Parts: sequence; structure tokens; C-alpha cells
Amino acid sequence: MAVIELSNVNLAYRVLMNRTGSLKELFRDALKGRNRVVDYVALKDVSFTVDKGEVVAILGRNGAGKSTLLKILAGVLPPTNGFRKVTGFIAPMIELGAGFHPEMTGDENVLFYSALMGRNLETVKERTPAIGEWAGVSDHMSFPLRAFSSGMVARLAFSTATDEQADVLLVDEVLSVGDSDFQEKSNDRIQQLIKSGAAVVLVSHDMNAVRSLADRAIWLENGHVKMIGKASDVVDAYESN
Amino acid sequence: MKYLPLIRLLVNRELTLRYKRSVIGIGWTLLNPMLTSFVLWVVFSFAFGGRLVEGQQFAPYLMAGILLNTFFNQGTWLASESISTNSEILTKIYVPPQVFTISAAMSAFVNFLISLLPLAIVVLVSGQSLSLTLPLVAIVGICMTLLVAGFGLILSTLFVRFDDARNIVSVLLMIALYITPVFYPISILSKQMQTLVNLNPLTSYLEVFRWAFSNNASPTIANWCYMFLTSMLSISLGALIFRRAWPRTVAML
Repeated sequence: MAVIELSNVNLAYRVLMNRTGSLKELFRDALKGRNRVVDYVALKDVSFTVDKGEVVAILGRNGAGKSTLLKILAGVLPPTNGFRKVTGFIAPMIELGAGFHPEMTGDENVLFYSALMGRNLETVKERTPAIGEWAGVSDHMSFPLRAFSSGMVARLAFSTATDEQADVLLVDEVLSVGDSDFQEKSNDRIQQLIKSGAAVVLVSHDMNAVRSLADRAIWLENGHVKMIGKASDVVDAYESN
Repeated sequence: MKYLPLIRLLVNRELTLRYKRSVIGIGWTLLNPMLTSFVLWVVFSFAFGGRLVEGQQFAPYLMAGILLNTFFNQGTWLASESISTNSEILTKIYVPPQVFTISAAMSAFVNFLISLLPLAIVVLVSGQSLSLTLPLVAIVGICMTLLVAGFGLILSTLFVRFDDARNIVSVLLMIALYITPVFYPISILSKQMQTLVNLNPLTSYLEVFRWAFSNNASPTIANWCYMFLTSMLSISLGALIFRRAWPRTVAML
């Protein structure tokens, strides 16, 4: 069963050529007829599906459209045209800790972050001590976040994001959180989430990780799909390129 | 409404974070309008104090105006900033962006409700009494929240795209203050100016509010209708424009 379905997705950013950042300039240029709009196409005709329990890696150079694609999957960016369907609960692990506030306590931040992800707050309240403990910051949970070290913040964010079983996991190089002990622990947890049936889309530059984790891979180049297929095949082709 | 708990958290956060590092904390929400009103009272009570209707005191008249204007200003401002302030979140996690704008408008409403306490004190101290119509203030508050949320929905997309939209809006907000009878009675104006001031929707909100709270005005049916109409118009137009502008706005966050 396909959990993620994209067909013929395009995404174009509209860019004003004279880099108009103010209404005044926009108005002035409009009077002189100087406004030229250029569509910058970030994704062209991207189609693929991801099934339940499948791990798909996205490869490509910087600027190939990997992050844009993840954002479309997360529902953050609406595609300019094309069809996007993602069923179930999405855990977007893209730059974790969005919405964390330095003046709020660890507990409050966990609650707020969970609310952003649309979770049931009653269950989150019960789970908060466990989330803090898993991140190894139990003794800090009632302090404002500014009293945390940056590693502690990252661990808390990871712990919160992965606390509930998700149907879709979007991973953007977050496997490198914290020290080596924690990395091992977090890798285990991701594996566990995958095993219990989440569909995973991951963006990574680490080809060894892609080989070992992913079933399939998609190679993006300049916004279109250059190759799609078995992970090892795509990685070989990508590396020899 | 899956996002209702989030709205509650956002309103809460807006109210507590603002004064988190100050000594008296949320007490500022009470103190701020009182201080502003006191200063303006010192300045204007000589000029306009005697021009009010018999039995009405200038202090509550003025303070009611200031509170409602603060509600409008603060609400419009917070709601318009809501998208750019939360761009971090909006580019990473899917949350309906309108949630932030509406929460901003609602936190201005809660601030307004809190500030009614000092207003009540001023009303009583100046020798007037609170009206029995007091609960109707809630209707004014809800209408104002919708008005402000609508403005916020329209302006927030402009705030993301254009840097100078902020400057323009702050000038417009100041003009709005002067064409609303906040610190003068309408009766002192010329006929043309009265028409202009009455065309300003905020005048209707203020008339109804002053009447409902402490009988400091006499709003007409037209005022009531104008209030309902503008709030509905604002929120529906705002929602419509926002929905259309969002795909391009989010790409610029």
C-alpha cells in the first residue's frame, strides 16, 4: 500500500528580477514597466510512491531540490502543480527543534513541539518524563531551555520527535545528533520505527548509510528525477558520475 | 479542530513570554494602559474634559478609548507579524499557518480582557458606575478579534514579502488612532470631520464598547450593524486573500 504518492509534481518559485524587497520599489518599477518575473523551477515532473515499511533515500548534489522535495512531502510547501498525497501521521525530522523557545522550560517545549505536530496533548503530558529521560536531560526539564547545552537541546528534540509511532518519517541528515553513544541510541530508535512499519524518506550524503538503510533510492538532478531504482544500483551510478 | 490545543498554547505563550524576564511579569499588562491613560489624561482633560455629555467623566471615557485602540493596534501588529515570526516552524512542520495569525489576535483579546480590570477601577473612582450591559463587551471583543485577525491575514503575507510594509502599516495605525474619538468627543468636530470619523469602523466599536461598559456613549443601531458587518467582511476577505497568497508567501519564508 502506498503511503506516499507523488505524481508529476512541479514546484516553481517566482522570482522578481530586480530583487524588489519593498513596496516602494515595486510601485516605482511597475510605473516604469520594469517588473520582470521569472519562474525558477525547483522541481520538474517528479513522480514516485513509497510503500509502508519502505525506506527511500534521496540523492543529489546541493541545489538539486532534495530539501524542497522533503518540504513538499511534509506538506509545508504546496506544489505548484501535480498531485501529492501522504497518508497518516508525518514525523518531519527536518532541522529538529523548530519552535523551541529558550525562555520556556524543557517540559513546556516538549508540549509545544508535540502540539505543533498535532499530537494528543494528554498522552504527551504523561510521556514527558519519559521523553526527558530518554534524552538524558531529566534533571533539566524544569529549567528554561537556555540553561541547556546545544547537545541537550538536540537530544530533547530528537527524543520528542520520535516518541510516537509515525506512519511517515522524513529524515534530513538528523542521524548525527549528539555524542557517539547517543548516535547509536538514536540510530536504533530510527531502525525500530522503520521496523514497526513507517515509510521513510531520507536525504543523506552518506552513501554507506544509504546502502545499509535504504531499499530504493531516487537521484535528483536539477530538479528532475535522473534515476530511480534499487538503492545499491542508484548509489553505484551516482558515485561513478 | 485538531489544532485547538495549539492555539491555547500559543495564546498562553504570547501572554507569559512577553514579560517573562521582568519583575512584575504579567502585572505590566495591567499597569501599561493605566500609565498611558494617566499621561493622556493629564494632557487632554483640560481641553476636552468639560465637553462630554452631562454625567460622564473624562477619565473612563479616555481610558476606554485607549484600551480598545491598544487592542486594535497590538492585535493587528501581532497578527501581521505572526507569519514572519514563526517562519522557523512554518518551513519545517505542517501547521495551518492561519493558526498563528488567529492566536495572535486572540492573545490581544485576552490582554484587553485583563485590562478591563483597571478600567473598572477608574470608572468607579471617577464616580460613575458600571453598566448592567457589561457582558455585551464580550461581543465587541469577539468582533474586534475577527476584524484584527482579518487584517492580520492580509498584512502578514505582505510583511513577509515587503520590508517596508511594516512602516506603512505603523503610519496607518497612527492615522486610525486620530480618526477615532479616543481622546476627544465627536461633538467638537466639524460636520465633515464627523462624517469621516463615523465612517471609520473603529468608531462604531468604540461607541458600543463605551456604552456597554459604563454608559459613556450612545451607539445607534447603525453602529452595531457596522461593527458586525466590518468584522465579518474583514475575516472572510482575510481568509480568502491569505489562502490565495499562501503558496507564494511560503516560498519566501
